[in-house]
Parts: sequence; structure tokens; C-alpha cells
Amino acid sequence: MAEAKPKLALYWAASCGGCEITVTELGMRLVSLAQLVDIVFWPCLMDFKYSDVEAMEDGEIDVCFFNGAIRTSENEEMAHLLRDKSRILVAFGSCATEGCIPGLANLFDAESILARVYDTAPSVDDSRGTRPITSFTVPEGIIEIPTFYEQVFTLAQTVEVDYFAPGCPPVVDQVWNIFQTFLSGELPERGAIIGVDPKTNCDVCPREKGESGYRVREWRRPHTVALDPDRCFLTQEVICCGPATRAGCGLPCISGNMPCRGCYGPPEGVIDQGAKLLSAIGALVDTDEPETLSQIMDTIVDPAGLSYRFGLANSLLSEIKYGARVREDEV
Amino acid sequence: MADHISQTQSFADQVRAIPGGEHLEMCYSCGTCVSKCMIQQKVEPEYNPRRLLHMVIMDMERQAFESPTTWLCSACDLCYPACPQEIHISGVIGAVKDLAVRAGYESPLDTVSVEESRCSGCGICVMTCPYEAPHLIEKQLDGELDRLSEVDANLCMGCGICVAACPMGAISRPGVSNEELREQLRVPASDGAPRMVVFVCDWSLRADADVTLLESYAQNVHIIHIPCTGRIDPEMALLSLRAGIDGVLVCGCAPGECHYKRGTVVSSCKIGLLDRMLGQMQMGNGRGLASHPVRFVQIGTQDRGRIRREVDTMLEHLVHSKEAQ
Ligand code: SF4
Ligand code: SF4
Repeated sequence: MAEAKPKLALYWAASCGGCEITVTELGMRLVSLAQLVDIVFWPCLMDFKYSDVEAMEDGEIDVCFFNGAIRTSENEEMAHLLRDKSRILVAFGSCATEGCIPGLANLFDAESILARVYDTAPSVDDSRGTRPITSFTVPEGIIEIPTFYEQVFTLAQTVEVDYFAPGCPPVVDQVWNIFQTFLSGELPERGAIIGVDPKTNCDVCPREKGESGYRVREWRRPHTVALDPDRCFLTQEVICCGPATRAGCGLPCISGNMPCRGCYGPPEGVIDQGAKLLSAIGALVDTDEPETLSQIMDTIVDPAGLSYRFGLANSLLSEIKYGARVREDEV
Repeated sequence: MADHISQTQSFADQVRAIPGGEHLEMCYSCGTCVSKCMIQQKVEPEYNPRRLLHMVIMDMERQAFESPTTWLCSACDLCYPACPQEIHISGVIGAVKDLAVRAGYESPLDTVSVEESRCSGCGICVMTCPYEAPHLIEKQLDGELDRLSEVDANLCMGCGICVAACPMGAISRPGVSNEELREQLRVPASDGAPRMVVFVCDWSLRADADVTLLESYAQNVHIIHIPCTGRIDPEMALLSLRAGIDGVLVCGCAPGECHYKRGTVVSSCKIGLLDRMLGQMQMGNGRGLASHPVRFVQIGTQDRGRIRREVDTMLEHLVHSKEAQ
């Protein structure tokens, strides 16, 4: 009998679907991947039911790529289920790794988000104060829908994770490398962040860096500036998250003449990406007048969204606001 | 002395020839600069710009090179507007230091070092340093040509502004490295009283009474001495809050009076942005943090006793918000 092919699962929780699209962008490589592995679960592309996964033995899936953050009780249930059924669980993409865009919801509480969606959004013209109810009795029985959590969690705040592959989404060549790594059987050390470089984007960015004494008196938004493609964005009064962001993406934004937005997360050894970014850009500011200083700060329209666009759920800010989440397996 | 120092030009002439050195002769020894200087008052009684100028005029080269005045001046320029002769004293001192370095003397200060394997060559330290001490160099590292920061130890004044600014945490300064400061963030709980950390720049406290006062607080108010508020980054403040500390007060000099020129500006910008972020985060809803739990205050050199009021006000605020819960 031919040797069994490794079993692969891909799942999406609270995510936009971009991570799934990156996998399909493998193109012909996806076809060869499909020959090397058995895809046993991939609800985005193939017809599987949760009951198919429930029917599996524990550890039956060799590798599960889990994208998306944990936003609802369904996300959490699936995280536990796939953890049990998978030998290796990979947090795939920024949402699973650090919360990403869904994690920005941690700026608010659940009720104010629901109120926005059901009452005050411009597209709602007849607010009746509707809220989702999670359990509803009909003649045939009880219908239940998942609950919407008070905060967004990362995958590792929910279950034990073996590897992390950040990126919004992870770039396609890195995705291919990651698949190859698992197929080769030569696994990195558990807990490793994969498909990345140790230092930051500045390390690989070819742009000319700033000089001694460079000072900023106003930050400008990228669309308002004719950007020089050869000079560091910071020297053009435009905030780039590159200094605080792990390299590995191959600089698609920066080579497209747009500043890095930070999706690969903090570099090795850095606890809080947003705080470090804030510290770096604050260090460039200059003025002796408190009033002007406040005006300079005003030019950063949304400091939390800028510094934590991808990392809020995994940040010190979230931990301070909600307290640390202790996982069941850690108790 | 080193042979490259010209035999024909006197020491004083060499100082005069360096930009900043040209006003040497104008000093008439009133000593106003000495009375303005924080270094003389706080760290080194031997510190004396007036005397240094005269050493130069009298060609006392070796004494000038060995004088603490040559090395300790941080060019804060508190003395400059006070000098009746409008001598840019820090410029003259800088000219002497320049010659001293060329003659092979080394700075006695605690300066920073860059961990090369962590530096990503972003240039943030290069841009922010008030003394133009770091610069980017190309260097072979692990078989590859890498762009790295290198700090000129003779220019570095040890303020720590770059330590806080470096997004890689690649720079450290003895006594106030990231690790050493984090170690200090453990404030013991004391029967329900709010816990508070005060990062205080020692230059901002002119009166001895203020310094002594800081030691008199109970253990729930933990004082951490730093060379400059520029050393404090938002991560340090957030780590404090995560460690269960209720409030963080960062005390620095007034604008224009910062001992390291720009520490107080960059720090108030960072803490200001952090405060806005904490507001965006609606912190109060969760653990019940006080409003504005991280604050920055600027204490002018004439503001004696102000530190006590600031600490007490914040403490009171923290007590109130604890009670309100
Ligand atoms: S700020 Fe840090 S990472 Fe950037 S060049 Fe300086 S030492 Fe290197
Ligand atoms: S410690 Fe201060 S003076 Fe020294 S290199 Fe850093 S910023 Fe410059």
C-alpha cells in the first residue's frame, strides 16, 4: 500500500478571506500541493461539514492552517476542535497571530459595536433597537447562533499554537516556503514564527535613510505627498511602520511607494510593536512650544489605529484593558 | 601631546579657529555661566566654564583636556542667554572637546552601545540624537554586508534618548537599559493604596529639598531616576500598567531647559500620543484604570516644590478613581 499522504486542513475564523486567497494564488503550485497532501477540511473552497472534523480521531490532521481571529463562540469552538484533531496547529496570517483588523474592535466594547451596526450606521433607517439573540425557540426546537464576544482574541490566547505565520496576508512565496517546510518534515523549533526574517523591514529596505538632525514638525498622510521612491518615508514626513515591523514580506508596499503598515508584527525580542513605533516616530519630532507639539500630534489622526492596525488584540493595551487571558491548558 | 597638533599655532588659536571658539577673548570672568549651570550644582563642583575659558586663553592645554568641564557640558545652553558678553559657551567648550578627542582623550561618561545583531539600520537613532553621535556604517555581519548604527562614544552624552527611540531595543546604556528599568517596575502592593511609578529626570530637580522629598514617599510610590525623560518610551509605561501599577508620572524639564536639548520634547510627544491612545482604547471600561493614568509634567528650573504637588495630585487622583470603583 502506498504511504498515506499527510493530511492538511485549512480553516478561517474571524477573517476577511485574504489568507485563503493567498493560498489559491499559489496557482499551479496548489495543484502539485494537492497531489502531495490530502486536504481533509477547507470550508472556503471545498464542501466539508464540521461534523466531518468531529468524526476524526484526535491528532488525525497532520497540519492545520488556521486563519482568522477569535471573535465569536463559534470561532473558539472550532479552535478547540481543530487543536484536538491536529498534530500541528499553525496560526496562519495576522488575524490568527495577533488579531489584525478584527482586533481593532478591542478599541470598543461589544455593545457599542452592536449599537453601531443595528442602530446608528447610516445604512440603518429604522432602528428598532434590534440585537442578535443567541437562542431562539421554534416549534421544531431551539435554534442557537454563536455569541459575539466582548473582545477579540488571538488563536494563541485561545488554544496552544505550534507555529505562527504572520502577514495580512502572508505573501504567497512565503506561503509556499511554509508548505515546503512542513512537507520536508524538517520542522522548526516549536513556537517559532515562520516565513519571516529576524530584523525589521528597514534592514532590507533599500531607501536612503535619514540623516543626523532630521526633525519633523508635521506628519503628512501618504496620499497628500508626491513621494520620492528612493528616500525613507520618515524623511518625507510620512509615517512608515517599517522600523517596528518584522521583515519577511519582501516589501510589496514599500516598493509600491506606499509606507509599511506593519502587518508582519513586531520583530524578534520586541514586546509591543505599537508602543515601539510610537516611540520611534515621537523621537523625530521637534518644537519648543507646547501648542505646536499638540498640533504636531494632531497630524497623527488615529494613533491607536496607526500603531496597532494589526496587533491590537495581542498588545499590552488589550492586556491592560481586559486582563491577561489564561488558557485552559495553561491553568 | 599628539604630534598632529600644529607646532606653530597656540592651543588658544586652535580653539579660536574652530567654529564656536572665536568668542573666547570676550569673557570677563563674571561667573554668571557657573551660577546657571546644573552640572556644577548637581554633579561636579569642579565644573566651571569660566575657568575653562581661561585655561584656553592661557594655553593650558593638558589641564583643559582633563577638565571635567570639557566632557560634561551637554550644550543645554541655559547659560547662553545669561552671559552678558553673549558668548556661546557650549560652542567654545565643544571646540576644546573636539581638540581633546583629536589628541586621543576619551569621554569619561557612561555612553551607549549598539547590539549589532539586533540593529536593523533604520537610522532612527541617527536622526534623533541631539549630539549627532550615531551614524550608519556598512559592515560585514554573518557574512553579509549590513547597514548598522555605530555610536561615537566621544560625542554621546548618555542621555538615553536613542535607547528609548530604537524600535529594535538594540541600544543600551549602563544603568538604564531596557532590562534594568523593567526590573524596577515591581512595586509591592500596600493594602489597597494605589501603586505609582515616578520616572524622574534628575536634572529637573534643582532644589536639594525636592530630591530628599522624593525619598520620603511610602513604598507605593516608586521613584525611578533616569538621566532624561527622553529615555522613557511608551512601552515602559505600558509595561508598568501591565505590572499592576495604577499610575505613571514622567517628570522632566521645561521646554527649552532640557539638559539634553530635546529629551523633554520627544518624551512629551510620546507620552502625549500614548495618552490619546489610552483614551481611544476606552480603558476605564475594563480593569477600571484612572483617566489619564500616564502623565508627563515639565518642571521649570525655578519651580521648586512643584514635584511634590505633581506627585500628590496624581496620587489623589488615583485614590479617587480607586474609591469610585
Ligand atoms: S534605532 Fe536601533 S535599529 Fe535603528 S539604526 Fe539605531 S540602533 Fe539600529
Ligand atoms: S544616549 Fe543620547 S547622546 Fe548618546 S547616542 Fe543616544 S541620543 Fe545620542
